Amino acid sequence: MDQESSSNLLEDYAQSLSELTFNSGPIIENLTAIAKESPAYADGIINIITARIYKAIPAQKLYSLYLLDSICKTVGNPYNILVGEEIFSLFSHVFQLGSESTRQTLASKLFESWKVAKTKGTNYPLFPQEQLDKIKTFLDRAGYPKSATRKAPSPELSNKTLIEDINGLIPLFQKKLQSNSSDPKLQDRFNALKQLKMLLSSQTMKTAELQAVQAQLNTIKEQELNTPMPTPATTPATTPGPQNRSIVQTPKAATPQPPAMPDADKLFHGLVISGLVKVDQEPIPGSKPVYSVVFPKIKYVVPKNGDLPSNSALQDILTANINSSIHRSEYEKIKFGELLIVSKQIATDLQGFLNNNTPSQGELNLLYEAKSSKCSLCGKRFGTDTEGAAKKRLHLDWHYRINNKLASRSNVQSRNWYLDDYDWANFKDEALLEFSTPDTNNGGDAKDVNAQAKNSKVAYVLVPPNDTNMNNRCVICRESIKATYDNSLGEWCWYNCVTAPGESSTSRKIMHATCAQESRKKRGPDDEGGQRPKREKT
Amino acid sequence: MAILACTRPPYPLQIFEFLKPSTALDTLFFPQVQNELHRMSIPGFGGDASSTYSDIPKDKIELEIPGGSEWRIEVPHKTILKVKVISGVAEIFGTELPVNIEIQLTGVKYAIYSPLPEGAKLEYTTSQNKAVISNESEELVEYISEESVMKNYINLHLALEAMRQQVSDNNILNPTTLKTGPKVLIIGNATSGKTTLAKILSSYAIKSDSSPILVNLNPRDGVFSLPGSITATPISDSLDIESANGWGFTTTSGSLYHNPKQPIVKNYGFSSIEENLDLYKYQISKLGVTVLSRLEEDVNVRNGGIIIDTPPLSIKDITVIENIVSDFEVNIIVVLGNERLTIDLKKRFKHKASSLTVVKVPKSGGVADADEAFIRRTQEETIKEYFNGNSKTRLSPFKTDIDVKDHTIYKCVLASDFASSLSFLPSGDSYTVEDDQKEDKDKSDEELNKYYTLLSEPSGSNLDNSIVAITQLPQANESSRELLNTSILGYVHISKVDDAKGKMKILLPFPGAFPRNVLISTNIGFNE
Repeated sequence: MDQESSSNLLEDYAQSLSELTFNSGPIIENLTAIAKESPAYADGIINIITARIYKAIPAQKLYSLYLLDSICKTVGNPYNILVGEEIFSLFSHVFQLGSESTRQTLASKLFESWKVAKTKGTNYPLFPQEQLDKIKTFLDRAGYPKSATRKAPSPELSNKTLIEDINGLIPLFQKKLQSNSSDPKLQDRFNALKQLKMLLSSQTMKTAELQAVQAQLNTIKEQELNTPMPTPATTPATTPGPQNRSIVQTPKAATPQPPAMPDADKLFHGLVISGLVKVDQEPIPGSKPVYSVVFPKIKYVVPKNGDLPSNSALQDILTANINSSIHRSEYEKIKFGELLIVSKQIATDLQGFLNNNTPSQGELNLLYEAKSSKCSLCGKRFGTDTEGAAKKRLHLDWHYRINNKLASRSNVQSRNWYLDDYDWANFKDEALLEFSTPDTNNGGDAKDVNAQAKNSKVAYVLVPPNDTNMNNRCVICRESIKATYDNSLGEWCWYNCVTAPGESSTSRKIMHATCAQESRKKRGPDDEGGQRPKREKT
Repeated sequence: MAILACTRPPYPLQIFEFLKPSTALDTLFFPQVQNELHRMSIPGFGGDASSTYSDIPKDKIELEIPGGSEWRIEVPHKTILKVKVISGVAEIFGTELPVNIEIQLTGVKYAIYSPLPEGAKLEYTTSQNKAVISNESEELVEYISEESVMKNYINLHLALEAMRQQVSDNNILNPTTLKTGPKVLIIGNATSGKTTLAKILSSYAIKSDSSPILVNLNPRDGVFSLPGSITATPISDSLDIESANGWGFTTTSGSLYHNPKQPIVKNYGFSSIEENLDLYKYQISKLGVTVLSRLEEDVNVRNGGIIIDTPPLSIKDITVIENIVSDFEVNIIVVLGNERLTIDLKKRFKHKASSLTVVKVPKSGGVADADEAFIRRTQEETIKEYFNGNSKTRLSPFKTDIDVKDHTIYKCVLASDFASSLSFLPSGDSYTVEDDQKEDKDKSDEELNKYYTLLSEPSGSNLDNSIVAITQLPQANESSRELLNTSILGYVHISKVDDAKGKMKILLPFPGAFPRNVLISTNIGFNE
């Protein structure tokens, strides 16, 4: 084959390998098959895999090592020979950076199998004896594999035990569905749990995975026991009693029963986020926690056992659940999708990403077109979904209010001092925004003004906005009146005054409240109280 | 004594105390559009633009910024640039400009960037800013550059936003183990574009619905406050690019065309961090405590993280950098275009490699030097804006007289003065030596002397034309520790102290009673 096709093959191979971010049987099988068909590129393939083992984030190293193991065992020559001299350093590298469960798997399963494995079709050991001895010494020093007590329970941990665990949880979900049947998410999650069960009953899983699933199921059980049950008449679900529906997977929506159980979400978040994703990813204590959720960009869906869900199908379910359990606007959904790819890239090489990434159209859109509705007054962008439209409406209302206010009262405004440390630490900026409602605007101006109006019924007239002369006269007694600044109103006012009858509120014609009362008395009650009803009658 | 960083011709500060200007005032003020407009030179784009000249009025210049390029402009304080986007998307340091709305800029060195491939069409006019009298050139410097580093800055934003996304999802799903968004420290030499990068990151964050806290540790710039302060401000809305330093207004200014921001303000009192490095570090640590407690309380800013802008720092200032890193629990240091510093910092923080990443982004070729006079003028504009607002938003400060004796005034100590007072050598200047005689001071007071001293004889000679910070302290007899830890309630300007009558003529930002009586006199001078 020519140079080009060789480099193509290797590129494709590296690309596929980079998607081995979780323990995926199909990917490993596929890549093993390719390696088997292309012994001519053994050199290149081994280089790609070893490079991947060294470069991948700790949690993902193991999977590449599994691939290497698979290729050496099923293909053998030349792969096992090529990698033979390096096997100790690869093994120890993965071991040192691996989590406790990874280490256990490496020491008790992988290495044990290497000790007895022979190169395919021959009687020679899989890897050079001297390398295997080195690994042995290395593991002895590290104290692995852990003593038999540790080892003993793990064989017992089987798919079967986990299925039993899940069976214990299923009635719980059924109960939740009954009390909260309107929640479609809950149904989804319940289905995910059932599929997990199907998966467990159809496929054999690695010990580490089983352990992780078990650990998670345990936490859920614990949480459940600490959680008050929705109805008093139930017993803890882990001990199936007569009240519990038997383990039948038909949670038909029962009659709606309020109230919804608040902990339902929390419970399943635990399962989805830390547990089931953990199966795929195995975060290591002490490693960078940033990378808690990882999904492959393109999923290899190799249809295997017909209608049974595969690992990647499970992954889809989980992804969907994570997305559906967080409410996102249209914009946030787009953002989530774009940033997921970015997270993946920056997890391995932040500096490289900063230097070399050319923002794609999709990434640029996050700043521009993803919110395509632009305010014509200030350039602020809004989404086009209902949420975005509602925000834009509030925003435009705010422009209108502010413009009116600034146009009419150009020099008197409610200004404040800076806050002190305590108030600032507890301040929420929502109160400053146009989207704030009187509820969120705690201690806002409106409240103060109301309080002021209620408590002290001192009559006052605001100095008309475009007026420069703060001095005025009462139209009745001709006494001069000076304006005073009202701190809580943030306005200049003529106190104890009212606007002259028939004048607009911005008129300069004012009179003392007392003078107004006097004149009303003089004119008699008819004048004020009597005339209006008459007019209405005619 | 108030030290004026730079003397300059008296500046007519407009006080609209009882004068209510109409909104049409700007046009009244700047009626003349200058005829001598500056022909642009657009590299690789000259032909197209110049051919359109004939179609439009002579005083309006149209130009087109190709996608991915930026139009770099240096507008002197003497000149007003009015610019309008005709079509396309154009932004100033991440803040998108509205279409068909005139933006007025003066005294700025900005770049208008066109992020999308379609480019952007602008139209602008220049006119003389009659309010400013100075001998600087009034020429508008402008050119289009294709060499933009915005790509790298957008990458940085995307990376930060990805981290914020993970944090916010985590905080929704696991409310028991809350995480905090990225805490970014921007480090670089003088004129490397630190503040610009801070603006870009802040603006992009708010566009992406994140709300980080912007921390300004460069006391030279008053960010959402006056020069001489260090501040922290949640970026809850877009920045106001038309304001004096391009950040915007605060709640101190009341209702505005932009939503105001709410800063926490700590006093430092000098423009340069060398004047009293101990006080500077002390205030950073106090600001850090407050900012971290805000992160605890406020889920929005917790997800957004922190963006820290700094004065020019080099590896010699490693103690300051280390302080900032630990006070704000920084986990990403972004070095602007300095390979050497990047490597030095990586070495220095090797022990923290698991929790602290040092990355480098290139410096923009468009960063313009700002000379002392320009900086000083911008500071003055910032101060003026605090009291009087700007052409769009007129504010009405309040002039009043207060009794000197009712107020306790401290001043910020110059580190060199403190050192010389310790050595008991004649300091040789007019520095009024505070009660050195009192040997039996208690320890905390002695400690205070390093930072603030009581102004025993407040007078015209040491207070005239200075900016004074009002502390949050309720009364004077608080301990000295309280004085150090307090934050700033606001600023007043003392124009004149009448020594005979014991009265000070002061300018308050808004009318009302003088709120507190413990004051700190800063070294920031200001002439009305």
